[in-house]
Amino acid sequence: MATVADHSINVRAEVAWELPEDRPFHRRAWRLAKENPVGAVALLVVVAFVVLGIIGPSIAPYDPGGLDRNARYLGPSAEHPFGTNQLGRDVFSRIIAGTRISLIFGILILFLGFIPGTTMGILSGYFGRWVDYLIQRSSEAWTAFPQLPLLLTFVAAFGPGLKPVVAVIAIGALFSGSRIMRVVALVERHKEYVTAARSTGATEARILLRHVLPNIMPFILVGVSSVFAIAVLAEAALSFLGLGVAPSEPGWGIDLRDGLESGSRYPHLVIFPGMAISLVVLAFNLLGDTLRDILDPRLRGSTGARR
Amino acid sequence: MRRYALRRLSFLPIILLAVSLITFMVLRVLPSQDPADVVGGANATPEQKQAYREQLGLNEPLYRQYTDWLGHALTGDFGKTFNSQKSVRDEFVRRFPASFELVMMAMMFSAFFGISFGIVSAMYRNSVVDYAVRIFAVFGASIPEFFLLTLLIIVPSYFWSYSMPLGGYVPIYEDPANNLRLFLPAALILGIGGSSGLMRLTRTTMLEVLRSDYVRTAKSKGLRQRTVVLTHALRNAGTPIMTALGTSFILVFSGSVIAEQILSIQGNGLFFFTSTLSRDLPVVQFLVVYTAAVVVIVNLLVDLSYAVVDPRVKYS
Repeated sequence: MATVADHSINVRAEVAWELPEDRPFHRRAWRLAKENPVGAVALLVVVAFVVLGIIGPSIAPYDPGGLDRNARYLGPSAEHPFGTNQLGRDVFSRIIAGTRISLIFGILILFLGFIPGTTMGILSGYFGRWVDYLIQRSSEAWTAFPQLPLLLTFVAAFGPGLKPVVAVIAIGALFSGSRIMRVVALVERHKEYVTAARSTGATEARILLRHVLPNIMPFILVGVSSVFAIAVLAEAALSFLGLGVAPSEPGWGIDLRDGLESGSRYPHLVIFPGMAISLVVLAFNLLGDTLRDILDPRLRGSTGARR
Repeated sequence: MRRYALRRLSFLPIILLAVSLITFMVLRVLPSQDPADVVGGANATPEQKQAYREQLGLNEPLYRQYTDWLGHALTGDFGKTFNSQKSVRDEFVRRFPASFELVMMAMMFSAFFGISFGIVSAMYRNSVVDYAVRIFAVFGASIPEFFLLTLLIIVPSYFWSYSMPLGGYVPIYEDPANNLRLFLPAALILGIGGSSGLMRLTRTTMLEVLRSDYVRTAKSKGLRQRTVVLTHALRNAGTPIMTALGTSFILVFSGSVIAEQILSIQGNGLFFFTSTLSRDLPVVQFLVVYTAAVVVIVNLLVDLSYAVVDPRVKYS
């Protein structure tokens, strides 16, 4: 079954991605966006998330860590669109500033987990043998175990903080990245263009970097999108449980936890951070889905990041 | 099949042995805090700490500590908790019913929603129901459970001044009404959270099966749609669905830790959580081994269920 699906991926990929090359880039981008409005909106949210993560703290209207005793527990208003919290901090500013920790966490997982995992997967799928077997089996063992108890064990050993959290989520991303890319590489290595490149005397390293990598780039992008969805969700969940970032930092998970105490009277303290998390995770999931749909319409509506 | 099951079960002790050894080493080699400090508290004198170390066997070589632990574990004695000096096993047994009820109830919801809506969505492809199910599946994977569980506490309280009965545990056979007031909504949220992947998978598998020749034959010989879908198609979509049920169980199991923490349900998830934060190593050690056993047994059940759902699968 896998081979049939993989075959169709490649047939469609050539059609969808290679829109006429002579058209200017913005025209081609516009056409793709019009065909996939949901994906386009998701991409906008993702871009906004990244931009806010970089410049957020400096454009927030109020100091996210500032105290204002006269403005505690204010409901949403024109001055404070999302209201203020128990210390008089502007919730809107905190959400904008909280983007940064989510973004940093996502990037950490990407570089420590997903990218090494992708490399590992491509190499093991391409070269195979016992390394492949070893990676496969350890990946199965790791993913079979429920992630939260696994993380709690690491926290028990290393103490609470960002390090064990990053380690566990990154190892998870390492394995999921290697699993996806392994399958892709397995298919790719029997393609004609690889044989053709080899017959011209290209080295294996050159074939991998110059020929195989560009061809599987779309699959990597799908993976990056779902890695970010998982990372944002995990960071928020663990901060919410008090296992992640320090309580003084602005972060969506922490703010949600703080809001829980007085949430029965001031629900805006819970709803806005919760919506921020949901919105960003949703955007990354939908962006990944759209990329996958463009790659292979057969799989339409059948995918999404799993927690 | 019985022989296959027994052979698979015979691996269980080996896996648990490996898991317990790894956990033991990780917890003892990398202690971020001296266990004697945990037991004695911050005010213990060096002499007292030394006495605790002696009592806990921390001065023994590492392999002796492990074999001691293992020897006791084989007789069902998993040591005493650092914090309250109570038997780990008794504390676990006391908390077990609450966790069991939560996870099982959530799994029932998850299986019901995931499979039934997956089928309906595949049967009426591109209908309103199908779109609703697909949108729900994406949202279900994106909206965090802890957010929904938080809303479960604050929304009834804000709008109807109704507070959820948090904490405490009344067994369902003693006081069903009070028990269900807490467990029903909690399990519903957990179950729905675990169902989105199952729903998606049921839908795709059913779509594929409904296109097959034998389904067309069954329809053309005039069978009722219900018979075609439930006995011809569903049976053939059974194996992937059983796999997804296993995945869903692992998700729900993980989620139950968060649910117990938020709703103060006195179960093993909360026990795991608080023991982690207080560095109660014997508890963590035991619960890791327990979790591994649950995972292995669930996977075995999933594998065995293939043979039940699909007679073509034979184990020997």
